Amino acid sequence: MRWWAAVDLIDRIIKEGERRVPELEVYLFSGDTVTARLRRREIHYASGSKTQGLSLRVIHEGRIGTSATSNPQRWEECLDAAISSARLATPQNWKGLPGPCQLDTAPMNFDPAVVPDPETARKLLQGLIEGAEAYPVEITSGSAEVSRSDAVLANSHGVRYLEQESMVSIGIEAIIGQSTGYEFDASCRMDIDPQKVGEKAAYLAYASQGGEDIKTDSYDVVLSPVALSQILGSVFVPALSGKNVHAGRSRLAGLLLQEVMDPSLSLIDDPFHPKGLSRCRWDGEGSPARRINFVKEGILSEFAYDLKTAYRYERESTGSAVRGGHGGSPSIGVHVLSIVGPRCNVVEDEVVHVHDVVGAHTANPLSGDFSVELSNAFFMRDGNVEFPVRKAMLSGNVFEMLKETGGISREERVVGSMVLPEIRLKNLALIGN
Amino acid sequence: MADARYFDIRHVKGTVTHVDMDNARVESAGTVFLDRAILRVLGPRGWGILEIDHYTRPRGTLFEELVEKAAGLASLTGQEVHLADVPAGSIAVPPLKENPAEVDLQEKQQLLAEIERSARIEGIKSTRANYIERFEEVHFEDSSGNESSFAISRSGFSILAVAGRGGDMQMGYVRRHVLQDFNLRHRQEEGREAAARAIALLDARTPRGGTMNAVLDPELAGVFAHEAVGHASEGDLVQEGSSVLGGRIGERIGSPVITIVDDPSLPEFGFEPFDAEGTRVGRTEIIRHGVMNAFLHSRETLAAVGHGHAGNARAMPGEPPQVRMSNTYIEDGDSTLEELIRECGSGILLKGTRGGQVDPGRGVFQFNAEYGYLIKDGEVGEMVRDVSLSGEILRTLHSISLCAKDRTMHQGYCGKGGQSVPVSDGAPHVLLLNAVVGGSGSH
Repeated sequence: MRWWAAVDLIDRIIKEGERRVPELEVYLFSGDTVTARLRRREIHYASGSKTQGLSLRVIHEGRIGTSATSNPQRWEECLDAAISSARLATPQNWKGLPGPCQLDTAPMNFDPAVVPDPETARKLLQGLIEGAEAYPVEITSGSAEVSRSDAVLANSHGVRYLEQESMVSIGIEAIIGQSTGYEFDASCRMDIDPQKVGEKAAYLAYASQGGEDIKTDSYDVVLSPVALSQILGSVFVPALSGKNVHAGRSRLAGLLLQEVMDPSLSLIDDPFHPKGLSRCRWDGEGSPARRINFVKEGILSEFAYDLKTAYRYERESTGSAVRGGHGGSPSIGVHVLSIVGPRCNVVEDEVVHVHDVVGAHTANPLSGDFSVELSNAFFMRDGNVEFPVRKAMLSGNVFEMLKETGGISREERVVGSMVLPEIRLKNLALIGN
Repeated sequence: MADARYFDIRHVKGTVTHVDMDNARVESAGTVFLDRAILRVLGPRGWGILEIDHYTRPRGTLFEELVEKAAGLASLTGQEVHLADVPAGSIAVPPLKENPAEVDLQEKQQLLAEIERSARIEGIKSTRANYIERFEEVHFEDSSGNESSFAISRSGFSILAVAGRGGDMQMGYVRRHVLQDFNLRHRQEEGREAAARAIALLDARTPRGGTMNAVLDPELAGVFAHEAVGHASEGDLVQEGSSVLGGRIGERIGSPVITIVDDPSLPEFGFEPFDAEGTRVGRTEIIRHGVMNAFLHSRETLAAVGHGHAGNARAMPGEPPQVRMSNTYIEDGDSTLEELIRECGSGILLKGTRGGQVDPGRGVFQFNAEYGYLIKDGEVGEMVRDVSLSGEILRTLHSISLCAKDRTMHQGYCGKGGQSVPVSDGAPHVLLLNAVVGGSGSH
């Protein structure tokens, strides 16, 4: 849908909506994606999709109603459903949707060089295959996806924000014997290196061969950004949501201004982080996005709020609404989460280096207790790999293990909505065979 | 359509209605409308696929143009693809007992509120209850002249209760979903169950990890069957070379007490009257008495890999079909739970689950129990919490020494390749010898 056509439709929806409810928010999305997928070394399928979506939110006397449809032309049915939904909602303190702000509207996550065409996807897959040839492994599967999207966020207070985004993402799996490796990358620019990604997947599979058993004991463990993102995302990030804090579902509730992490480390959501994939100047409901210092040098300093939670509990929105709820409605999330602190060599002396974990989503999100299986783990001494670990479980508590760390690495990488270093954790239990 | 050897279209229209209750408030409630189709065209080598929002079948040459557009994408592909000849056609969808769509949204909210209220007992700090209902109308047609339709309803609720004491927080969680029925009436017991478990877990200890005998309850053993066997038997993974079960048909891979089945024709949560390629569905015995017997298949993977029959291609609306499990279970044995516990000697009884994950190429899986009880000298004792198990597929199946005869099925959603589909898992109680149990406790 063209910009002018989208604005025309939005104006019609808002005009009709305002006749029926005091406040209305419209989120209109259209996307164009090309995906190609490898099965072994050949392209198995190529797909193209043009998606559309309309997500509505109405507010009437503190009652918030939502609805969504994949067919924006059926907006009237969607508006009726949103109004019905509001009738059922429990009323809450509500001080209004945001008005327009003077925000820079230049797209932050868009590169005109990203064109969703099959040839681009084919070249990316070719690069993955070439990269994987660095080691004598078999490719089992791989994928490349190239997309562009336009989204307009509008409301009855005059907000009309257009977001134009592009995205390139690739991933590949390799195997040799029973040793597997998976690597991926994503960027909003045409700057990812498929050869490097292919080579890394192949390396992980190749280097993990011939794993040895490890004795059940306590070890210093280095989690890669991939492993760390899974454990943070399953436990720590939900505990920072203002909604969970006030609803009695966060272990961090009541700990503001107390030490919750290693005092050398800070945990930040920086929506302007130059490496972030989901950078933004406004959040999913039009509040200006800002840097949130969740943890400042170990001290818990802020929680994340969207408008609904902020109004309910007499707080300010931190611009933390992201679109991902039912039918793309906004809910509390993070934009670009990063860990900041003094950098060091995290693989000094003896460590078990863990590239990935199996089963992070089974961690207890409230208590933080977890036991996960290791993937591509290596016993290292003085920075050198001594042997790959065949099989072991890592057990611990997410909140406890972050209180005293052995520091973070100089290098960092983008993993979804996080930009993370490697982290060294002290004395974690490994259950070997 | 010169380059199109075959095409099919799967069009899904429907609604998703939800109610979210959070600490006695209606956090959100409403309906989302979906209307998505997928057109697959098989070119000389490989597939071209179009994902289409709010699809209406174009008339005449416009339809041919659409097929050609998908065929154009297939010009990029290089995979040799053959489709096995398989029986098409639909089996009957189980009749609707009570149609959730005919129950007023407000009544649903009030019934859910009753379940949530029943969990708000002393010691409980937070409650959350969700109801979700999906109604889908599926229409399938292919270039061979097959055409089928069905309508199906899936709905259910979950209740979460959080207990807190000092700095400790524990949760109890109960989820119940149904096919072709409405299950919110008279379910306060589930609310009380979630609350009682959360409170009991405050006094439970985290066990010390290690190798021990474990009795798995039917829900957890079902997840074991799903993670340890189900995924690795999916024909696409076997074809890609990323399953340790590839090439093992006829091989003894487990103890003779174990038979594992997947059956989309069972009227359980993973039911499909025909699969996402229009294929007739039926029972597959993946492992029969410990011997690898068959894989799960789409038409393509059946032609490429063999052993089994098609009918397990499944997809989210508007997404490409993948080989997926449906209703997966371990067959009943002939023991009793008491015999399993006695035979266990010293070990652990594990119950409930927050799910699991598998690396099928490496043959290693992990899954988690919500809670459990230590077993000492054949007697069930102290409660423990947050217990995970991991194992190697090819070793662990030999370690199942006994199966009880009390199989039940549990509903859930399974993720693969970015798609989530409804499934059920089930098993009787099973005894697993020398299981690797994770835990950071000192007991």
